[in-house]
Amino acid sequence: MNGRIVARYTAWEFWRNVRMVDSTFFVIVLPAAMYLMFGVGMNEGEMSAGHGNIAAYVMTSMAVYGAVIATTAMAGSAAIERNYGWGRQLSLTGLSNGGYFSGKMLASVAMAIVPILTVFVVGVATGAQFDGVWRWFAVAGLCLLVALPFGFYGLGAALLFRSETAVSAASGILVILSFFGNLFVPLSGTMLAIAKFTPLYGVATLARWPQMEGFIIPMGEVGPGYVPEFDSLPLVLANIAVWTLIFVGICVLAARRRTQR
Amino acid sequence: MKLNENALAVSGVTKRFGSLTAVDDVSLMVPAGEIVALLGPNGAGKTTLLDMVLGFTSPASGTITVMGREPRAAATSGEVGAVLQTRGLLDDLTVSETLRMVAACHQRHLPLADVMGRAGITDFGSTKVGKCSGGQVQRLRFALSLLTDPQLLILDEPTAGMDAGARRDFWQTMHAEAERGRTVVFATHYLQEADDYADRVILMRSGKVVADGTVAEMTATQDRIIHGIWLRAEVDPADVARKLGVHDWSREDSRVRFATADSDELARHVLGENLMRDLEISRPSMESVFFELTDSHEEGVLR
Repeated sequence: MNGRIVARYTAWEFWRNVRMVDSTFFVIVLPAAMYLMFGVGMNEGEMSAGHGNIAAYVMTSMAVYGAVIATTAMAGSAAIERNYGWGRQLSLTGLSNGGYFSGKMLASVAMAIVPILTVFVVGVATGAQFDGVWRWFAVAGLCLLVALPFGFYGLGAALLFRSETAVSAASGILVILSFFGNLFVPLSGTMLAIAKFTPLYGVATLARWPQMEGFIIPMGEVGPGYVPEFDSLPLVLANIAVWTLIFVGICVLAARRRTQR
Repeated sequence: MKLNENALAVSGVTKRFGSLTAVDDVSLMVPAGEIVALLGPNGAGKTTLLDMVLGFTSPASGTITVMGREPRAAATSGEVGAVLQTRGLLDDLTVSETLRMVAACHQRHLPLADVMGRAGITDFGSTKVGKCSGGQVQRLRFALSLLTDPQLLILDEPTAGMDAGARRDFWQTMHAEAERGRTVVFATHYLQEADDYADRVILMRSGKVVADGTVAEMTATQDRIIHGIWLRAEVDPADVARKLGVHDWSREDSRVRFATADSDELARHVLGENLMRDLEISRPSMESVFFELTDSHEEGVLR
């Protein structure tokens, strides 16, 4: 594998994805805008929450949302491009198959870093606070880490349905999953009980762990009989592990079905 | 590659897909500098063969040597350029960006402005690939195949989707490249292209090579056509045909057409007896050879 070729390919891949207006809007502009709306605009941003404030809590949610959308779209488009024969075109160059996958992976990670960085920079400028500098880096790192399994989610959608529409639909479904993942509005009661089984709930809770340590922000005013609710770390990790396995399983099955034809 | 070596050597190659034999014991040699057309109907095995030459798939049996190397090594080294049939380009890039991105993936490449000029894509370099016409996309693919200055060009139906004018322009460009001493192997189902642009034609049907030679050689083995105006109403062309042992003849009003291996004897006879005027003797076209060799055994042809 030629490192210089992989680096050049990665740079091109990153550049063309950043430039695609539709994906950039969902990956960069929308998370930053939603942070400003929910995290800053609601006048609750200053309120403290765990080892930080509400603005920082919303900031993390939106960074996870943007990063997950990015990895889903990147992995999905990679599979679609290969299907259309772009892979054949590139396999007549010095870029090996391994180089292609490494390049795509690096570009996907770079694309996931963009919304995290954007939302965090906007967050710093608008009063998001964590206790201690290390929490900024820990949360940002976790946002990136938890977005990676969603590469398999995007890949699985592309392998199953083999169309760009399927990848767009997969990204669209992420909006609903984000709602259940407690990324937009704090959930409670039955909704919260259901939400705990959905794929974005685990990753969002893990990304917020340095700040919240599993504490669930209640919806609305808290009455006199309020008992704080907590998520347990093993259950959060189990949620992530199970969903990652499901996504990988779908990819394996879809790929196997494809080679059998 | 050493001098006088074959640019492409295919020997006893077979490829099966399930119970279907797409390429059936094919052997062919292409010396350096030759322009060869791989001609055959859809499903004759042309693309399957070229896929193996480029190392996308491997033969079930037999060997392929490209520029003296194993196909995959030759393809990735830039010694082989190819125009592929699949879509395979990114619609969001412009024409010149596509060229730059693919160039970035090569070990080395020619100056991009040169390549764009030679392939004739400079005028629409800033057009998005998704907005290009079929002919423009094919020209871009051709430019991509020239990037590494390859000694062997593999073109799989390079003019598919082009109108007549674009096709002519494309072949003019191609010819200029061939004159630089490149070896060119192109697959086509347009007879005229094979006839006009190839030094040699390899005719394929049902995965087998059914004829291999120059157009002149192929048409030489076929009957000559004698064609003219019948002068003497009292003589029946059928009697003449029977007398001279000609089985294939036809009549349309006063025009009569004979097909025979011994055209000289028939011509002598009809002229000597003053039976015909405006006599025209011709070799059969490549088209008749093509249909003779491919159409008559249509069963078993893959679709």
